[in-house]
Amino acid sequence: MHDPCNYGRKGFKTFGHGYFEEPRWITQQCCENYVEMYPAKMNNFCCGAGGGAWAMPYEQERIFYGRVKAKQIKDTGAKMVVAPCHNCRDQIMKSLDKEYGLGVEVKYLWELVADSLIVEPWSEEEIKAANKLRDAQYERDDVDLDQEWG
Amino acid sequence: MEALAINRKESKLRVAPEWADVCFTCGTCAGGCPVTGVDGMDPRKAVRMAALGLDQELVDSRFPWICTLCGRCEYACPQGVEILKMMRKARGLRERDKVPGPIHKGVVMDLERGNNLGIPRDDFLFLLADLAKEMDEDEGFPGFYVPVDKKGANILLTVNSKEPFGEPDDMKFWWRIFYAAKEDWTVPSENWEGVNWGLFSGDDESMKIFVGRIVEHLERLECKTLLLPE
Repeated sequence: MHDPCNYGRKGFKTFGHGYFEEPRWITQQCCENYVEMYPAKMNNFCCGAGGGAWAMPYEQERIFYGRVKAKQIKDTGAKMVVAPCHNCRDQIMKSLDKEYGLGVEVKYLWELVADSLIVEPWSEEEIKAANKLRDAQYERDDVDLDQEWG
Repeated sequence: MEALAINRKESKLRVAPEWADVCFTCGTCAGGCPVTGVDGMDPRKAVRMAALGLDQELVDSRFPWICTLCGRCEYACPQGVEILKMMRKARGLRERDKVPGPIHKGVVMDLERGNNLGIPRDDFLFLLADLAKEMDEDEGFPGFYVPVDKKGANILLTVNSKEPFGEPDDMKFWWRIFYAAKEDWTVPSENWEGVNWGLFSGDDESMKIFVGRIVEHLERLECKTLLLPE
């Protein structure tokens, strides 16, 4: 579990609550063997792409920054890292994994949940009701899936 | 170099002169920061620059932008120096056309077109319908569709524009959860951006406008819960 600065440390500072336990509980419902990174929570290290750094032109500095997170991940021996933030997920999955040869799978927290679900299809009545609402909405918004696009 | 006048009124970073005394210069901030040493800088030096009146030098340097505003230094500071606030303030003082990378351009685009990447409403609605059709017909979610501007829905969902732009299938993660939970949810047809780049560019005024849009959606659509997956 990677603790995004904004949900954890900064959430605590701004709102008096850091979301540390919630993502851990969710992850542990989906995965059998959960391993912590050290340090974590309030002392967690940033992935290196926070504050818009993922979009900044300072790529070398961003990768250098991420070396600490990369080592933390490597030291856990985990096969998968859960990153509940868009920035962190992109940095770990698209950059650190490659730059530091981590070989880990990286998922959003909600991606992990979606992938863990066993989905029961809705009943006939539920489907009919949803189709009706959908058709009315597409009519209202002028959405036509059969039209040629471009 | 000329003598510097240090006082609260002249400091662009609004750093009180007392800071020079408050900060122990212990370096706890610098010791815990992964980019200490880049450009010969670190958070302790940045604080010293602000305390000694070198505001413009800090504003013009790359450091406030290489810093990720993660706040680890501020949390560790034994004296409670607001390093994170100072860094963000330094970003905000950069001339807007000199903000590095695309984040200010994204802010301008969002102000004008309702999302950072300027995705038009019709394209967005068509994409949602098209992806929903895949789930409905081929992926085991019969009856699924994306409720748009649905009044009275429980959850209002914002969208990160990178997903409709480049990773559209990633939007399905939340949608699959909503389907399984039979959640009552909706997405706004316009101004649906969930990424607030004003936070990163140090632009409080624009940031407030983007937050205001979300509040307006919640009121107009009478949604009870905001889901802002950023």
